[in-house]
Amino acid sequence: MVIIAFKEIVDNLRDRQTVFYALLFGPVLLPLLLGGSLAVSFKQLSIDFDEVTELAVAGIERAPSLMTFLAGRNVDAVPAPNDTDTIEAAVRDGDVPIVLQIDADYERALREGRPAGLTIHLDEADKASAKAARRVEALLGVWERTNDQLRLQHRGLDPTVFDSLDIVTNDVSSDGASGQLLASILPFLLIVSMVMGGFYLAVDTTAGERERHSLEPLLGLPVARHHIVLGKFGATLAFVALSGLLCAFSVWALFRFFPADLLGTRLRFDAPTVSAALLLAGPLMPFIAAVLIVISASTRSTKQAQTYLGLLMVVPMAPFFVLQFLDLEPSPWTMPWPMLSQYVLLERSVLGLPVPAWHAALSVGGTALAAALLLWLACTFYRRERILS
Amino acid sequence: MIVAHALGKSFAAAGGTRGAARVQAVVDVGFEAVDGEITGLLGANGAGKSTTLRMLATLLRPDTGQACIDGHDIVTDVLGARRQLGYMPHEAGIYPRLSARENVHYYARLSGLNGQDAVRRTGELVEQLGMAGFADRRTAGFSQGQKTKVALARALVHAPRTLMLDEPTNGLDVMATRGLREVLHSLAARGHCVLFSSHVMQEVAVLCDRVAIIADGRIAMDDTLPRLLARTGQPSLEDAFVVALGHDVSTGAAGAAGACT
Repeated sequence: MVIIAFKEIVDNLRDRQTVFYALLFGPVLLPLLLGGSLAVSFKQLSIDFDEVTELAVAGIERAPSLMTFLAGRNVDAVPAPNDTDTIEAAVRDGDVPIVLQIDADYERALREGRPAGLTIHLDEADKASAKAARRVEALLGVWERTNDQLRLQHRGLDPTVFDSLDIVTNDVSSDGASGQLLASILPFLLIVSMVMGGFYLAVDTTAGERERHSLEPLLGLPVARHHIVLGKFGATLAFVALSGLLCAFSVWALFRFFPADLLGTRLRFDAPTVSAALLLAGPLMPFIAAVLIVISASTRSTKQAQTYLGLLMVVPMAPFFVLQFLDLEPSPWTMPWPMLSQYVLLERSVLGLPVPAWHAALSVGGTALAAALLLWLACTFYRRERILS
Repeated sequence: MIVAHALGKSFAAAGGTRGAARVQAVVDVGFEAVDGEITGLLGANGAGKSTTLRMLATLLRPDTGQACIDGHDIVTDVLGARRQLGYMPHEAGIYPRLSARENVHYYARLSGLNGQDAVRRTGELVEQLGMAGFADRRTAGFSQGQKTKVALARALVHAPRTLMLDEPTNGLDVMATRGLREVLHSLAARGHCVLFSSHVMQEVAVLCDRVAIIADGRIAMDDTLPRLLARTGQPSLEDAFVVALGHDVSTGAAGAAGACT
């Protein structure tokens, strides 16, 4: 058994394709692609008010107090040509993200207590432009309220008279929808990379072995069939585990570079959380290895086995998408299911929610039982004469 | 020693539906291959040679009949039979990413040899089969002759008393074939039982002490080569083969020999 497992590991470590999928694709490329693109999109969506930026202002000399206000909030005004056509062309071509245009009678309107005109030229289709516009709008809103209050006080009115409602939004989740999505990324990445990591070895050791005609002499050796199955299972398990481990490590490493305020207060990707997640996902390793062995033992060629890969990849993805729509709580009914229970548990652990011991026990038990059944199925496949044909 | 008695095996026809007629690959195969001799299983393509060898190698379970390898029943004592048997299938089936030595060593370990013995035995076979020049290269890109040597070394690694080879000379050039012949002769001289299947008359005639002629899943004739010629009254194995199949030598020779060149 150990001999077979060891040989398969050595044999497959010499196969570039297997090594690529086990050590690079799932553990490194996938987290980078997914986590990286998420990090970038979050960065684009979220506004960092502490970041010092420049703002092109047409008619900069007409509103010195506004410029001082903006400068105090990390926005440095730079002069822009005061011609609407030129401004529009510049924004459209992306020379400047946005341009703030100050009306000619801005100062006078303010003095006379009339609304003073400001125009923001932006390109809504351009993410950077839209983001810059939102930042400026937010700052101008503050500036407007300050001016409103000054005007009212000037006329002897209490500014609070105009605040008929006092609306407070209290988001107790502190993570929001993006937190939920990020939390489900860890189980998704772990499971996909474990499946990918073991897949090529599993296919190579059964369907591939049959294709190379090396299965026939192997099965003719004085070795019990279940030892052969367990040996191949052991080798697959080693690759699955290695992929899972490397993936957890790269997720941990990746989220260290993630802006902390984006993750919310409860979402955690620190070392203890990722270790706990890996521990909860641990029972999935033998389960995934067993699934892969069964698939490769039941298919006739590597090509056919690879076709099943597409179908198989839906299995780890299904809970990911289902959980986006259904808010599944851990219960005695969901916990014994392999994949599903790990998704729920891993998501909860990343969100910092408690995981009761008996939930974890049910998850481990159900998954182990499923893995054992699959292994038994693989052994019966190996005992059939059809395995040779 | 191999003793086979009335072996029969049928398969579901490929692409056939449930209940469709089964293909009877082997109907009634009984023969003996004794120690110290080379026995040839001679038959046309599709006569049932490979199915017979696979049954003897315990890879297929016979529907009818029984067989023993050195006294171990191939159905009731599978592991015992396998321990006595070295089996080299039709295709070499060696691992391309392992070196020749690693291929042999892997089988040695699987056959129950401990680490030290496996290394020693592998070294012996590399020497014995003249594999020293390519033993430590990965087998991807090996010539057919080199592949056959690796596969033969693998089959011999646990020093089985009985050796079974399925068309071993297929694809070998003249020198490689002669080399293989020498190895098989020396094995028989040391008391091993060697059974090999072939459809090549000259091969069987040169190599075998005893010939079992198989046709349509039945043993048509089974005897030593001189007695086979005497029984059929023919001067050559090819003519004896045609007669054993029940054809007239003058009219049937072309057709039958065409299938068995």
